[in-house]
Amino acid sequence: MNALLLLIPLSVLLLVGAGVAFFWAVDHGQFDDMETPAFQPLLDSTVEPAARAPGEGSA
Amino acid sequence: MTRDCACWHCGEPLPANPPHATLSGVAHAVCCNGCRAAAEWIGELGLADYYRLRSEVASRVPDPVLVARNAAVYARPALSRHLVRELGDGRSEALILVEGVRCAACCWLIERAIGSMSGVASVEVNAHARRARIVWRPDLANLPQIIEALARIGYRALPLDVDAIDDSRRRESRAAMKRLIIAGFGAMQAMMVASVLYFGVVDETTRNLFRWLGLMVATPVVFYAARPFFAGAARALTTRTVGVDVPVALAIALIYAGSAIEFARDGEVYFESVSMFVFFLLVGRYLEMRARHRTGDSSDALARLAPAFADRYEGGGHLSRIGALELRPGDRVFIAEGNGVPADGVLESASCRVDEALLSGESRPVVKRRGDALITGSIVVDGTATMHVERTGANTVLAGILALTNRAATQRPRLAQAGERAAAGFVAGVLLLAAATALVWGFVDPQRAFTATIAVLVVSCPCAFALAVPAALTRTLGVLARRGVLVVHPNAIEGLANATCVMFDKTGTLTEPRLALERIDMLRPADRAGALAQAGALANGSSHPVSRAIAAAANHLTLPEVAQFRTDVGNGLTGVVGGRRCRLGRPDFALSDAVQAAQLEDAVVLADDDGAIAAFHLLEQLRPGARAAIDALREQGLEIAIVSGDAQPRVAAIAARLAVTQWRARMRPADKFDDLAQRRARGERVIAVGDGVNDAPVLAGADVAVAIGAGADLAQAASDIVLASVHLGALADARALACETMVVLRQNQRFALAYNFTVIPLAAFGLIAPWVAALGMSASSLVVVINALRIGRRAEEVAGRVPTPAPVKVTA
Repeated sequence: MNALLLLIPLSVLLLVGAGVAFFWAVDHGQFDDMETPAFQPLLDSTVEPAARAPGEGSA
Repeated sequence: MTRDCACWHCGEPLPANPPHATLSGVAHAVCCNGCRAAAEWIGELGLADYYRLRSEVASRVPDPVLVARNAAVYARPALSRHLVRELGDGRSEALILVEGVRCAACCWLIERAIGSMSGVASVEVNAHARRARIVWRPDLANLPQIIEALARIGYRALPLDVDAIDDSRRRESRAAMKRLIIAGFGAMQAMMVASVLYFGVVDETTRNLFRWLGLMVATPVVFYAARPFFAGAARALTTRTVGVDVPVALAIALIYAGSAIEFARDGEVYFESVSMFVFFLLVGRYLEMRARHRTGDSSDALARLAPAFADRYEGGGHLSRIGALELRPGDRVFIAEGNGVPADGVLESASCRVDEALLSGESRPVVKRRGDALITGSIVVDGTATMHVERTGANTVLAGILALTNRAATQRPRLAQAGERAAAGFVAGVLLLAAATALVWGFVDPQRAFTATIAVLVVSCPCAFALAVPAALTRTLGVLARRGVLVVHPNAIEGLANATCVMFDKTGTLTEPRLALERIDMLRPADRAGALAQAGALANGSSHPVSRAIAAAANHLTLPEVAQFRTDVGNGLTGVVGGRRCRLGRPDFALSDAVQAAQLEDAVVLADDDGAIAAFHLLEQLRPGARAAIDALREQGLEIAIVSGDAQPRVAAIAARLAVTQWRARMRPADKFDDLAQRRARGERVIAVGDGVNDAPVLAGADVAVAIGAGADLAQAASDIVLASVHLGALADARALACETMVVLRQNQRFALAYNFTVIPLAAFGLIAPWVAALGMSASSLVVVINALRIGRRAEEVAGRVPTPAPVKVTA
């Protein structure tokens, strides 16, 4: 039972960590648009490197 | 639409000798040089994938020269102060409304193309809001460059006021997301902890540990995630009303406080019930908010309707292009053909013809003469105009309609929200029962009074009840969304089912915005195709809707050359075609014979010096499925009425074609609103269907407002339901589905009631173990959800015929 006494507070800590990470993500706009980004992984590889215009690219 | 006859880029019909855009060595026919430049530039950037990925065709590319001239205006400090925000770290930020965004591929294209410009730090595009947030370094790039670049790939850009950057919607949706997740985490953990307490307790230490955990996870759920319910309840109480939030907040507070007290007294705790309750309620509200956010808001609508620029006469008599925000009463402005009127004022030049369709519902442009009033947002379709500005900004007619709309929306009769109200009544009843239980047990056995009271609250935990309505509504919303019917306010479902009358607008709602050539009457023996080609050649030179209809009908013919072309505003066109002087226009303009002219009245006549050649009869086209939709609605027992701002004969003609007997013409927005108020006073429940700005007040005041997706954004902002397709049949389907939903909803409510009436007495007598209560609660919720999933099942099977929604056109 001693293991429980250690593991359960640990799981609570993890939960708090997940909550904090989630709040950070929401505040940084990760959930503002749920549809458009779904396309991006499909497309990234298809851009020919030679065609990239000079500059810093999309940040 | 086949690829062969439509522009590769924008899908518009091709002219006779289309230019070609070359992408990766393959030539594609396009409609204009703007589209060619856009397509080739997209190819050069290596973004040709856009054409493969997009689900909707792009919009026609505006003329690059014009765009460059307009974009330069944004460099004016007086204007950019309103539009650009300086970020602390030497970067600038602007929020841009991008017109022509149709699908996710558009967003991808914009992010790639603009993101690759030097000096641009970040680009975020939201397809639904059609807004792009762009951050750049002012030393390397500027706003005009960005706007020009957007124009080069075919998107018209409208920077929004800086105030819009921190928009309330974003704040609202972020806060709701956080609350939902906290409640979700909490409910999950609390349920896990509770199951240990119910089924797996070994010893006292473990039990205490898990009770502590329950308290820990439920506390943020109640104090953070459930705050909207408490805030809503507080608001309702300060205005001395009892909304839905009051009993819900009371139940949450009581279960939590009761559990906390029991926790201290070492009794039973119900932290999982309260967490689940909050989570379920929040899921319902979150879905509702997402649906609401899908339509544009009214500030965007204003930005789209009113032109961004004006050409002002300066002291020396020359013109300078400025932002419309800079205009002041007393200024004189010049408006070129095809441009919008930037402010309210009086026409100073001789005459012009103005399209006020969105504002007044008039389907054909009206002639304005010196001294007539021009209103913001209407478009000068032929001729040019010089205007004396009288009112700007918030004082314009357009802003007035907006204000009327907002007022009507706040005065909107609260629909009988049967679901929520029944749930609220039920919760209030349970609270009374719980109080009675406490009282009775207080006399019988004070020791058990508290436990029994809490058990009553938990076992009846209005989960099934609270879910009965949102589960059914959410399912309906999903089914409808797949059919191109966007429900913004879920109450509208009940309104649809209960409605007794449908009020249609005519122009743009029942009819297509474009005219079509109905028939050609030959007035003397001549070649019909030749006459059409002649008329088409003349009409090609004008942007008037009548001319466009004739030009479109003549599109497949080889058109003769036109010389000495001239537009006579309000009358017609003249030109030398094939060596003969021809006139095309109103009968009294084209013909010298007044008697013949009077006979032809509403037709467009082509004539030369020898007299009339042909009469063209134009017709407003009914939207596809308009007749079927009206018949279907009538079959469902609804009264149909047409209320239009257009002229009497045109409304009468359409009403006759649709077999509608109740119709009224020449109605201004305020008249329409009065008509609606009268109907409502007679006890009718009205569905209003419209598309234009002039419909917005009626839409905002109706029991259920339905907007056509291709219409004005303001109309959409005032509506409960937006039809993404222009297929009106969707409305009849939606009504049928709404009725089905109400049936399922009542079943759910009856089931929840029956369940609760069975278990509450048991709980009140202290006969139910906590784990049985928790199990019963979950099972009853499940039954309700599964029942809700039946909605639309039958219709889905039939729905092989569902039309694909047409692209939602952006109003310019």
